[in-house]
Amino acid sequence: MANLVDIIVPDVGEDEVEVIELCVEVGESVDAEASIVTVESDKASMDIPCVDAGVIKSLSVKVGDKIKQGDVLGQMESGSAAETDEPAQEAAPEPAQSSAEAAPVKEESTAAPAAQETQQAPSASKTIEVFVPDIGDASDVEIIEVLVAEGDSVEPEDGLITLETDKATMDVPAPEAGKIVSLAVKLGDKVSEGSLVLSLEIAGSDTASSEPAPAPTPAAPEPASAASSEKSAPAPVAQKAPPVPHHPSAGDKGKTGKVHASPSVRRLAREFGVDLTLVQGSGRKNRVQKEDVQSYVKYELSRPKMNPGSSAGTGSTGGGLQVLAQPNVDFAKFGEVEEVPLTRIQKLSGPNLHRNWVTIPHVTQFDEADITELEAFRKEQNVLAEKRKLGVKITPLVFMMKAVADALKAYPAFNSSLSADGESLVMKKYYHIGIAVDTPNGLVVPVVRDVDQKGIMEISRELMEISAKARDGKLKSADMQGSCFTISSLGGIGGTAFTPIVNAPDVAILGVSKSEMKPKWNGKDFEPRLMLPLSLSYDHRVIDGALAARFAVHVSGALADLRRILL
Amino acid sequence: MSEIKTQLVVLGAGPGGYSAAFRAADLGIDTVIVDVRETLGGVCLNVGCIPSKALLHVAKVIQEAKHLSSHGVTFGEPTFDLDKIRGWKDSVVSQLTKGLAGMSKMRKVKHVQGYGKFTGPNTLEVEGNDGKTTITFDNAIIAAGSEPVNLPFIPDDERVIDSTGALEMRDIPGKMLVLGGGIIGLEMGTVYHALGSQIDVVEFLDQLMPAADKDIVKMYMKTIKNKFNTMLETKVTGVEAKDDGLYVTFEGKQAPAEPVRYDRVLVAVGRKPNGSLVAAEKAGVTVTDRGFIDVDKQMRTNVSNIFAIGDLVGQPMLAHKAVHEGHVAAEVIAGKKHYFDPKCIPSVAYTEPEVAWVGLTEKEAKEQGVNYEAATFPWAASGRAIASAATDGLTKMIFEKDTGRVIGGAIIGTNAGEMLGEIGLAIEMGADAEDVALTIHAHPTLNESIGLAAEIFEGSITDMPNPKAKKK
Repeated sequence: MANLVDIIVPDVGEDEVEVIELCVEVGESVDAEASIVTVESDKASMDIPCVDAGVIKSLSVKVGDKIKQGDVLGQMESGSAAETDEPAQEAAPEPAQSSAEAAPVKEESTAAPAAQETQQAPSASKTIEVFVPDIGDASDVEIIEVLVAEGDSVEPEDGLITLETDKATMDVPAPEAGKIVSLAVKLGDKVSEGSLVLSLEIAGSDTASSEPAPAPTPAAPEPASAASSEKSAPAPVAQKAPPVPHHPSAGDKGKTGKVHASPSVRRLAREFGVDLTLVQGSGRKNRVQKEDVQSYVKYELSRPKMNPGSSAGTGSTGGGLQVLAQPNVDFAKFGEVEEVPLTRIQKLSGPNLHRNWVTIPHVTQFDEADITELEAFRKEQNVLAEKRKLGVKITPLVFMMKAVADALKAYPAFNSSLSADGESLVMKKYYHIGIAVDTPNGLVVPVVRDVDQKGIMEISRELMEISAKARDGKLKSADMQGSCFTISSLGGIGGTAFTPIVNAPDVAILGVSKSEMKPKWNGKDFEPRLMLPLSLSYDHRVIDGALAARFAVHVSGALADLRRILL
Repeated sequence: MSEIKTQLVVLGAGPGGYSAAFRAADLGIDTVIVDVRETLGGVCLNVGCIPSKALLHVAKVIQEAKHLSSHGVTFGEPTFDLDKIRGWKDSVVSQLTKGLAGMSKMRKVKHVQGYGKFTGPNTLEVEGNDGKTTITFDNAIIAAGSEPVNLPFIPDDERVIDSTGALEMRDIPGKMLVLGGGIIGLEMGTVYHALGSQIDVVEFLDQLMPAADKDIVKMYMKTIKNKFNTMLETKVTGVEAKDDGLYVTFEGKQAPAEPVRYDRVLVAVGRKPNGSLVAAEKAGVTVTDRGFIDVDKQMRTNVSNIFAIGDLVGQPMLAHKAVHEGHVAAEVIAGKKHYFDPKCIPSVAYTEPEVAWVGLTEKEAKEQGVNYEAATFPWAASGRAIASAATDGLTKMIFEKDTGRVIGGAIIGTNAGEMLGEIGLAIEMGADAEDVALTIHAHPTLNESIGLAAEIFEGSITDMPNPKAKKK
């Protein structure tokens, strides 16, 4: 017999817990002990199971609701009734077992549950909600960037927003391709795991073809229930592939003496010098296990630390550089000041630059290339390109890239990296060149691949694309990996020379300053020549001075007469 | 005069000292152990924990045989052959010290007998029966222990004894005064009472076993009220030795008006550390006025190659604490980054009945402002306790209220000391009341009272009225 029962919250051991996930939706048939909702307290998250098999008739909670023991979660038709084939006497729309054949839509409004099995007709699109995934126990995390706007189309894994905790910055990725319907957050908002980020309209054909998509149930009072199915809900997807490495820190849990760890774990922590109050326990009731201490140590060793002035950029393990801390100056004493936070890029690149500067013995070789003929040629080609409406403008940088690729072939030591143990050189057989690009947010280095195999026009086109991407902040991390050598050009701005910092694991970097017409002695008289200043910084552990001078001469020779590259 | 060069010298062969020496030897360190006694084991094995347990065993069986008459089995009045009782005690001690000597030999730990004193940060001089030995060492562990406190106003008389004298069992005194209501005095009082002595106990404070919680000691007082005459908040002001006995004058709350005659006075007012007896200052080691040596959590003194462990580094003066400290010191010397880092150290009085506690007492929890809840299971509700005629008992657990974490526990009753281990483990492992309550304890045992106390806290107790039951 149909038997409509309330689903009651059992003793959850807490006064009040928050619903972080709905595991079922209206109309779904469930087994006894199946999870109905997942709740989270400050100690743990747990599933609230259903006491009996049956069909969910209604849900009266939504994600984010606070519930306590005795609250009604919803109603269900209990199993004994649902399993019989007898028609329900009460207003139950359909027994779950027969729903495959039954017409999916009934007259009932809110109780019309389009059962999962029946939803075969591919709807044109559906809307899902994207939540903040597991961000490693951090809560009230600030949104420092909103990367998308309403109406934008996104691909899976595209960044939607950027969060910044005290430990790291991370992007919340799009779970699926789709179009942003509405944004629920704005810049500067504080969010936690489970917070709603935005609604995403997903192209229907994508999902409906592979799996029967859960119905959007527009009539259902709780919009959240639409996104509740395990298969389509974004939160569980994101949990399976968190966007950031697991962060083992327990944050500000630190109350000494309250550590939940056995004697052997405490001993291990002592051996590593780990403060156990900072370690998140993975065991029952957050007990700290040996593995937690180990992963904490690994994490601490691997993460870059911004530690201005006090020690090496890699933290105490880097080079163990012990230097005086920066004095804490109250600048306001001397005049009006304003504190502007570092940009995300500055925060991320700062420690790397610091490490490279203090750990690589730098030498900078200066030279000048005569680019009088090159510039004449380039301008000629640009006029031609415009005539043919190629839509490409050739910049001097492209020639430098070709010249550098040629020099890398001639001097393979420049196309290498020191092995991790410092015992050998990794020689690269490819010629990818990184280009330092100045953007409003800071310096980024996108990489152009296989420069040796590409023509001037092809590289020019690629360069225009990546520069635009870089300035719009749309570069992906893959776009910035794999460089062999970096060129940093300040030629468009000015200057006569500078010392660029080697972009490890590269072993050299070429700095380019502003070209200038200079009198050059040609044997009979002074001739005006366009001279381009080059500053080649290199890792002296790998490259000696004579080799660097030869490399610089090779590059300037190639720029002076491009035909040499063909030789 | 002989000379020895070694990597490590351990001064003192009590439980702390020999444990440190054996651990060091097992870690590959060339080790010499120095002790005044011919045998290893120190006070604990020779004149302390172990021989007293041998006598307490005798006392317990005498008492139980007496009690059996109320269950229908009557033995005749016991007769005591003191030489044989002493022999039993000595055989226990010698079995253990021989075992230690064997293990020491196996580990190639050299035992130098004599009185060791530092002569520098790397040298020690031992004055023994066969002359002087100079030991040059890289590292040293001072484990010289403690000795009973003497009271200056008590005359030097052979009828005034300390714990060592009491264990010698020269005779069974008719009437004995136990001066000091701590564990040692009460244990010896228990032994002599079983052998027929009339026992008075005098304690300066308002409670016997002052460290333990009031409710536990109250239960103990109830069980001993027919055995000992206890005088609390009372002190001894004078002892006069006369031919027919020692006349003791009291002052305080429960003091008798006239001096009382005793055949023996057992002075058990505490122990003092031997830090000042080893010339540690010659090695540069700082010793406090009271004879303690300060150490860090790795047992290192202010001199980096000299460590100290056991009674002379501070309270509690207990063998099991010293053993663990000894291990840490040896491991640190062997280059391990270990620390003495326990959450709790158990205390046990092997009286009849036994009184045992570990972790925080309720008193300490209050002092430290811990939000705690205590749950006490009375043994009168335990089937096993009733069947064993051991209903004079309580099992008390102390939990942190918010987390349910076990932070302390106390047991009074038969075998309390044996049962305490579970509570210690629970504290170290961070177990909470639920963990303990869900651990199935065998029925019927005295030990299940620990699980039942946790159930009281949890509100799931069914062996007693449940104060946390839902109101109807």
